[in-house]
Amino acid sequence: MSASRLDFEKLTGGYGGTTIVRGLSGAAKAGEVLCVLGRNGVGKSTLMRLLFGYLPCLSGRVLLDGKPIQAFDPSARHRLGITYCPQERPVFDDLPVRDNLTLMRASRRLGPFRHYFDRFPILDRRLAQHAGTLSGGEKKILSFVRGLAEDRPVVLLDEPSEGVQWENILHMEAFIAEKKAAGTAFIVVEQNLAFAERIADRYLVMDQGRAMLEGSQSTISRDSILAHLHV
Amino acid sequence: MRAPSIVVLIVIALPLLLGEFWAYQLGLYALYAAAAVGIGLCWGQAGFLPLGQALFFGLAAYLSGFAFIGFQNHLIIAVLMLPFAALASGLLAYAIGYIVFRRTGESGAYFSMITLALSLLAFQIATSWNSVTGGFDGLKGIPGLPGLDDLSDNYYVSAAVLLVVLALAAWLYSAPIGVLWRALAQNERRLQLFGFDTNQLKSIAFGVSGLMAGMGGALYAPEQGIVTPQLAGFGLSADLVIWAAVGGRGSLLGPVIGTLLVGSLSSELRDTLPFWEVAMALFFIAIVLIFPRGIAGLAEPFLRKIEGRKRGRPFIAAPDAPTQRPPAALTLHDVSVRVGEVTILDGLSIDFDRAGIFCVIGPNGAGKTSMFNAISGELSGVSGQIGLGGSDIVGLVPNRISGLGVARKLQIPSVFPDLSIADNLAIALWSGRAAKVQLLKPRLRRWTSPMLEQLQSRYPFLASGPRKALELSHGEQQILELAMALLTEPRVLLLDEPCAGLSPEETDAVMGLVRWAAQRLGGAIIIIEHDMSLVKELAEVVYVLHNGTLLAKGGVAAIQADAKVRAVYVGGEK
Amino acid sequence: MDPLIVTQAINVVYAVSILAVLALGLAVIFGLLGVLNIAHGEFIMIGAYCAYVTESRGWPYLVAVPLTLAVCSLLGAAVEWIMIRPLYRRPFDTLVATWGLSLLLRKIAEAFFGPGFRSVTIPLPGTIKFLGTEYPIYRLMLIVVSLAVVSVLVIWYGRSRTGSRIRAMVNNPELAQAQGISVRRLAAATFVVGTCLAGFAGVMVAPLVPVQPFMGLDYVLRSFFVLIVGGLGSVSGLLSGAVVIGGFDSVISAVTDAANGYFAVLVLAILFLWLRPRGIVARA
Repeated sequence: MSASRLDFEKLTGGYGGTTIVRGLSGAAKAGEVLCVLGRNGVGKSTLMRLLFGYLPCLSGRVLLDGKPIQAFDPSARHRLGITYCPQERPVFDDLPVRDNLTLMRASRRLGPFRHYFDRFPILDRRLAQHAGTLSGGEKKILSFVRGLAEDRPVVLLDEPSEGVQWENILHMEAFIAEKKAAGTAFIVVEQNLAFAERIADRYLVMDQGRAMLEGSQSTISRDSILAHLHV
Repeated sequence: MRAPSIVVLIVIALPLLLGEFWAYQLGLYALYAAAAVGIGLCWGQAGFLPLGQALFFGLAAYLSGFAFIGFQNHLIIAVLMLPFAALASGLLAYAIGYIVFRRTGESGAYFSMITLALSLLAFQIATSWNSVTGGFDGLKGIPGLPGLDDLSDNYYVSAAVLLVVLALAAWLYSAPIGVLWRALAQNERRLQLFGFDTNQLKSIAFGVSGLMAGMGGALYAPEQGIVTPQLAGFGLSADLVIWAAVGGRGSLLGPVIGTLLVGSLSSELRDTLPFWEVAMALFFIAIVLIFPRGIAGLAEPFLRKIEGRKRGRPFIAAPDAPTQRPPAALTLHDVSVRVGEVTILDGLSIDFDRAGIFCVIGPNGAGKTSMFNAISGELSGVSGQIGLGGSDIVGLVPNRISGLGVARKLQIPSVFPDLSIADNLAIALWSGRAAKVQLLKPRLRRWTSPMLEQLQSRYPFLASGPRKALELSHGEQQILELAMALLTEPRVLLLDEPCAGLSPEETDAVMGLVRWAAQRLGGAIIIIEHDMSLVKELAEVVYVLHNGTLLAKGGVAAIQADAKVRAVYVGGEK
Repeated sequence: MDPLIVTQAINVVYAVSILAVLALGLAVIFGLLGVLNIAHGEFIMIGAYCAYVTESRGWPYLVAVPLTLAVCSLLGAAVEWIMIRPLYRRPFDTLVATWGLSLLLRKIAEAFFGPGFRSVTIPLPGTIKFLGTEYPIYRLMLIVVSLAVVSVLVIWYGRSRTGSRIRAMVNNPELAQAQGISVRRLAAATFVVGTCLAGFAGVMVAPLVPVQPFMGLDYVLRSFFVLIVGGLGSVSGLLSGAVVIGGFDSVISAVTDAANGYFAVLVLAILFLWLRPRGIVARA
């Protein structure tokens, strides 16, 4: 898996006639995590959907290794090397856990997943069960494992820790660290500040569709972030 | 007005211009045209497609045939029975519409398939019930209309019936009910939220179309002398749809043009040109996919010149809104909703005061919009009670709840895009104020109210009547929808992210409007918002929802200080 | 056992099985893609005419199968591209467009073959002693083939890769796209499978019914009723719908006549629509 970086420049877009995200710029470099923080409704998920191609950009660019990819639809961006784990409906409820993991892989074997099953034994136990019967947090874990196992150079995670117990969140942190070391670039939307602090190299704090704070982990204080997260 | 007189003149002159044979042809096709106008009403106005309309044409034809045969010695009685034959078709259509629409809701496909099935069934019955209908060969020997000898006399009778049908259609299209039909076709859910029973509106449309087809069919029997099962069957049903489409289903005269031009031409050319029918089918598909306005669409600029300018008529004051009703407190008690495995609302209990501005906040998936959906009656499987002024509204259909004084502004601006701004606002005024019978009076389209005038002075674009709503900018559509909700003078106003996607100036304007409305209406305004600066500005009380239940309630400062709320918004170790 | 009763019983089994196969194409397109393809009956008609053409050319009957598959897949792909794909979010417009298509196909058939009835000789004529009664061989074979086709399709859909991907696409199209499934292509392929199944059913029934341009109307309505009564989106729905509609129809038609049978089926469908609109097996 070669390393890549994802950049976005002055992204503006939204749904239908509504503009939600305005002029956002940022980058996820190889081996780094960019954490996108902000309260509900500020446009974090909209940003992710713009990055992955579910929404058209009204203006601005998305660049993969310097090449613009705004014209590509989501399945094409996946082929180019971007993994996406959505916030809502993260799994295929009608398919068993096993199929959720192996749907698009060349083989159905579960060997590559052993590594993840060691820390998330719940998945191993429920391989034959329909994913719809899992709890919210378990679905997020399943989505997380599926995404990371795709071994793509850029990974977009939208609230991976939602509903997940703390001990499993720590496992997620470990896996992310592993991938970072191997050169994967991450953009992670998070509500959970404690988790974000553990994984982020850079922050992008949003409010009302714009970037309020931006910078590396060392330059932005916890208090300034909290000020934007609190009601 | 000039247009109808021109049409009448043309109608009278045609047989003189075209000769007896064509007069006969056109007389026959005028009857079909009456049925086609009915299809234009259902499809072009109200947005659903009957695929078996010949059922009503054939039914009236058979009934009329029985009457003329039965009363052949007293034909005048048979003539008096003609309207009843047509009425029978109309009533049957209304009944079918009533049964089917109530269950299929917004799915037009089921309705279309069932009408298709009914037409085939009618054909089957007409063919096999030999003793009554004469079977496949049909009901023969029907005496003609008394006192008419010439072939062209029949033409004048047919033309007269067609003109009556057109007059009926013209009246209904310009009346409020026509506006409601067109609104229904564009955004059925929104119309329900204004308190209109859309199922009944559709049933009425279908009933009127059945009546129109019945009028044509009733005259067919004495004019042609024979009634065969084909008149109720699939072939004629299909032809009617094609003629209505090709002529232009959205316009008044389109279906007539389609039937007279295409229909009568077809009957000549189908035997001489081998691929004529195939060409017609391709033409139909092209019209439907590319040029839905049809032939009438081509003639539109020309027709507009004939119609002349519509003089601006003066406005009429609307009657008072039923906010003689006292303000009502909205309370939710232990409300739970499950969809499949997911619990959307979990024992939610909130008591809103009867007056004031309240904000509802919470993380994604907390159930805010679902709470609104439960209140407005759009969620099924709701357990618990939702009280409005003391009475429980759980289980009521959305248009009834709106009728009780609950207005809603949806998350995505939801107006009637293809209607004029004036019509959009008029619909809001009719909501809750117009009795059903009044919806037949075109003068209601000129209603205004003091509140509308005040809104129009605040936002001049609301007075640019003939402009279509889709021409407005996103921000203007938000304000239009908000204005429409306010015009119903509700007791409880639900606003779902009213400032989403608005510029700072537009946001200020909306906030001002909300404050003004709170004072003017004196009821409760409940707002779902994410933007905390707005919440701070407007909210008297803030409610925080989380996981489908109420987490905290209080003033803005209290909420900000609440540790539980912080935890939800910031996350943390669990 | 009274041979008459056995014959009637087998008739019912036959009616149910053949109805399941006839409705299968629509079950795929309407149940999975949500598209009400009114022209479904016309694809069945195409299959029947292919059988007719095969016979009139003197080819063995089985040649009708690849012929139909070729015609229906090409036509299905073209239709999906031109009129279904642009209209996925507008179900009403799709309905009108497919109605126009059904009209066009009927008129083309009429132009080529004329409006009259054609008949196709039964490839396996004669009867065979079965359960104490003489029963037509061809019908027995159709029962077997019907059950085989439905079973194979069900197993394939449940077990195969592509089947899982189709289920994924139907269940959560956004996530399917996210994982690299080209939803557009898969939906198009699914549509073509539906039209080919319809064509195949047409080849099957051709020897037993009058082949004429209007034959499709009855089939699309019956298939639609099967899906209303049984429920969309599941095999058990399709089968229960076929059992109810097919059973009801054949029993009533045997006792009274075909028109009454049709009437009864229509009333039943409206009753179900009224009382249980999601069907017997309602999908969550």
